[in-house]
Amino acid sequence: MKTGKAFYMPTLKACLSIFRIKTAQGLQYRMAGLAGASTSIFWVLIEITVYTIFYTYSNNKEAGQIAGLSLRQLVSYAWLAQLFFLMQPMRIDSEILGKITSGDVAIEMCRPIDLYFHWFSKTAATKLTPLFWRGSITFLVGIIMPAAYRLSLPASFSGFICMLISFASAFLLCTAFGMLVCALRLNIKWGDGPTHIIMLMGGILSGAYLPLQLWPEFMQSFLLVQPFAGYLDIPLRLYVGTMLPADAYWAIGLQITWAMIFIFTGRSLMSVRLKSIIVQGG
Amino acid sequence: MKELKLYFKYIRMNFLAGLQYKGWPIMVLHVMIVVISDPIGLIFLFFRFGSIGEWSMERIILIYAMAVTSFGLAETFCRGFDYFPWRMIRSGDFDRVLLRPCSLFIQIAGSYFHIHRISRVFGGICAITWCLLRQGVQPTLLNALTLILAVTGGYFAYTGVFIMTSGIAFFTIQGLDWIYIFTNASYQVTRCPIDFMPKVLRYLFTFFMPMLVVSYYPASAVCGWGESYLKGLLAMPAGLLFLMLSMFIWRIGVRHYKSTGS
Repeated sequence: MKTGKAFYMPTLKACLSIFRIKTAQGLQYRMAGLAGASTSIFWVLIEITVYTIFYTYSNNKEAGQIAGLSLRQLVSYAWLAQLFFLMQPMRIDSEILGKITSGDVAIEMCRPIDLYFHWFSKTAATKLTPLFWRGSITFLVGIIMPAAYRLSLPASFSGFICMLISFASAFLLCTAFGMLVCALRLNIKWGDGPTHIIMLMGGILSGAYLPLQLWPEFMQSFLLVQPFAGYLDIPLRLYVGTMLPADAYWAIGLQITWAMIFIFTGRSLMSVRLKSIIVQGG
Repeated sequence: MKELKLYFKYIRMNFLAGLQYKGWPIMVLHVMIVVISDPIGLIFLFFRFGSIGEWSMERIILIYAMAVTSFGLAETFCRGFDYFPWRMIRSGDFDRVLLRPCSLFIQIAGSYFHIHRISRVFGGICAITWCLLRQGVQPTLLNALTLILAVTGGYFAYTGVFIMTSGIAFFTIQGLDWIYIFTNASYQVTRCPIDFMPKVLRYLFTFFMPMLVVSYYPASAVCGWGESYLKGLLAMPAGLLFLMLSMFIWRIGVRHYKSTGS
């Protein structure tokens, strides 16, 4: 594989245009966004109802406060979790998966750009577009809900800024992990099973099912340093104010470190795999 | 009778084709993890907050598991309708099905079968058994009958949802994601104890799509939480009624079908 500046500049430029084209393409699916948003909203409303019941009627009502998360914060968390959930890698991009299974990967390898970053920009673009329509509709509905169900304002202005930076890092982290799984999937014989399981584990540990702060006490320190907390738990803690902006440095640093590790392993794994790839199809 | 035979032939064929992919045990494992991890948030909430009055974890999980089992059965044995709007209408494959001199229904219902979907049923039955044992329910004939009829009714109800979606898909072709509210998102509703459930949800899932009729009422009757066996036994007729309504919509849809694709 060629290296050096002469190789990377065209790659970067090509990847940026691929990203732009794919994003523009994805933005055309407005109706799909609307239909998807209805599901997200339904889901959030059920979650909020369940949380409210636990916070008001359960035998240990105080347990949530003790864990450091008030109901108001939890409601905001639930809304934003739906948004952040959209960028999680749940499956390999169907276009890329099609290329792997049909053998078109051979054609992709002929292109004079780095395959890893080529697919990276494609994956990133397809993850960004649902965020735009489906995400923004969900967000708007969240703001105009009646008080008990409303997405409230961020805890502080600096917390909000930190959240935005952390959001960008989360996007990088999600895409990087998706690409690592994609590199694993280049081994055709395994099928879809193992990659689905790996991605599902990431989804569970991200806090999308339940904010990580409400998980059992003894797991807390593990939950915070594991890579998937960076998917949505860290940015949302910054938003609702259960993590102070002063702590944002190491939290965002942690996200970026994990993203770099995933990019590095993903890319090396991919170049190893590409040396001995089996091209399917005829 | 001939049609039932045809259906099982279809299923057998799809089943054997599925076994050709050597990765199928991993897919079974994958769905198993999905099934176990889905209620994990709820379980952690119960660990932290304790019961909600008389609503213990066993009770909520039992209702949830009843709904999941019914959904799993429908997904296993009626996968074809689940896929129909996506795989058959848009590609125009439905035209070919129409040409064959057999029941449309059987051909579509049997067109897909995925072995790994059975893990949802398996997981659901394990959870139901665990909850019933924890609550010390007597294994009488009436209880067993109520539960079996409930799950069968649930199977009809969820099959009805798939068929209804397919019927509506004739008119809209795309943008059917909202139907998710009546499939995968529907059993999430059972996480709310019924006394605290918003009225809208309670009525929607009782009188339109009878999800609570096939889960809450039979569970309540069997475990003695206050609902009568009569209501518990309504699960089967309610499921059938919903299925008939869906078939009606499906018929209208088929009559309006204009070919798509090439």
